[in-house]
Amino acid sequence: MTKNDDKLKVNANSCGCLIDDLLADKPDKGDDRLCSARDSDMEFFVDPDAEKVSHDFYQRRLTDGLPIIPPTRERVNRFLAFSVYEAEDVLGILPPKMGQATVEKIAINAVMAGCLPQFQPVLEQVIKAISQEKFNLAGVNATTHPVSICTIINGPLADELGMNSATGCLGPGNMANASIGRAIRLCLINIASALPGIGDHATHGSPAKYTYCFAENEKQSPWDPLHVERGYKEDDNTVTVLAAEAPHNVNDHRSQGAEDLLDTICHTAATAGCNNSHVPGELLVIVSPEHAATIDQEGWSKKDVQNYIHKNSRLPAVLGDRGGRKLDEKWISQGEVYITRSPRDVTLVVAGGPGRHTMISHGFGSGSESVTMTLNPERRDKS
Amino acid sequence: MRVKLTEREVLNPVGEVQEKKIKLIPLPYDFDKVSLVDNTKPGADIILKVLSESLGNREHLWVQKPAGAPATKQQIQEAASSDLAILALGDCGSCTSWVVLDAIRLEKCGTPTISVCSDHFAPFARELADSHGLKSLRILEVEHPIAGLSDEKIEEKAGKIVGNLLYLLQIP
Repeated sequence: MTKNDDKLKVNANSCGCLIDDLLADKPDKGDDRLCSARDSDMEFFVDPDAEKVSHDFYQRRLTDGLPIIPPTRERVNRFLAFSVYEAEDVLGILPPKMGQATVEKIAINAVMAGCLPQFQPVLEQVIKAISQEKFNLAGVNATTHPVSICTIINGPLADELGMNSATGCLGPGNMANASIGRAIRLCLINIASALPGIGDHATHGSPAKYTYCFAENEKQSPWDPLHVERGYKEDDNTVTVLAAEAPHNVNDHRSQGAEDLLDTICHTAATAGCNNSHVPGELLVIVSPEHAATIDQEGWSKKDVQNYIHKNSRLPAVLGDRGGRKLDEKWISQGEVYITRSPRDVTLVVAGGPGRHTMISHGFGSGSESVTMTLNPERRDKS
Repeated sequence: MRVKLTEREVLNPVGEVQEKKIKLIPLPYDFDKVSLVDNTKPGADIILKVLSESLGNREHLWVQKPAGAPATKQQIQEAASSDLAILALGDCGSCTSWVVLDAIRLEKCGTPTISVCSDHFAPFARELADSHGLKSLRILEVEHPIAGLSDEKIEEKAGKIVGNLLYLLQIP
């Protein structure tokens, strides 16, 4: 090192940017760089272009076809802060690909779906619920049948998350209903590989495969809500998952009594082309508050309603036996098949707003059982 | 002054798969009894009947199982009581899944299997078997579709795969 170099650098180990170096008699190099030892003087981090990421993810078959929010580390971390688990914890192995549903992968898909970070615990419980053996996700994901996953939220959390349980609760317009259902589908696409034609072989698919999530309208129900019926306390928060077809309307404006109204529901439910007709199983009945009031005014309990729907939702066995698996003789009585195995198969909830419509969703048949799980209210802020 | 703009990375949403391997049980040189595992899909019984008739005077054990759901433990135990199990029919998404997954359950019990799937669903069947650690699961492909056809047509299609079955079993 020469004497001139000593003047330029006070400290031999510095890059020349120490305050002493800058104050020293430094020759003007003709540029305005703060530090010549680094490739930049300042680094700014910017979000990737959402449109570009959406197109890229779409091309790589990582979406449901709709635009997504780019799952940056910062966004994903905000979701992880709402989890009681570690990011790498595996909450389920999802068939057919047998992908590991880690907490972080769930969060990534939730970000993509447009969820709020507060929805993360709900999604985690849903993943755990659909991973249960009795739910038969292997069959539900791969089937040619248009079965989707219907998620019902019960308990005070539904209001806290701003969920819609009233007018239009099965339709568009609510962030929680829409994005929770969508995040579940993205988890199935990306973790289970339930892609159309690859791991999801539904002949037509279903609009309900985009999203199918709502909260029960507990305040306007004359009966115990679903989670109480299944052994939880009223102030518990639960998720219930059902393998269900897209909902079908039951329009009844004229019935003034329980039996007439329930007959309309039963007649709509007892159709030949559903899975229940040859492999009887669960039937989701989403009763509107007005219809529930009509039934309740005659003093019918929830069990009465479930019994009636079970006993009267039946069709000729010859028609029921046109589905996939051969109709088992044990489900046939006097030439008819009951589409539910017992009153317990009638999953009855109250939801929706004013109007004289009820909705029904046939299940996957005896191949899948619904699962209700409690939501752990504990939230650990790791930030 | 040089300013560097760095785009934040996006994370991968795809779930990782833990690799595992299951041993494929070799087919026997000879056998006395074969389980015919019928998931009761239309035509499954006809295909199994045609295949079993090509196996000579060996004993047949018919076992019925669900199509879109797993066989019960009892059904698996029953099917595993033979020297070999032939399962049919995988001609849709869920029934293919549970033909393959029940075949894997039988392989785990030590019973060699041959699964019959339609050629449309056979690639999925192989992918699924691979995901479960048994890439080389034996799958016989029958021409799709089977459902909706007359018994004669199904017999004709089943007849076309008899040669493949005998080749697998090294029966001249």
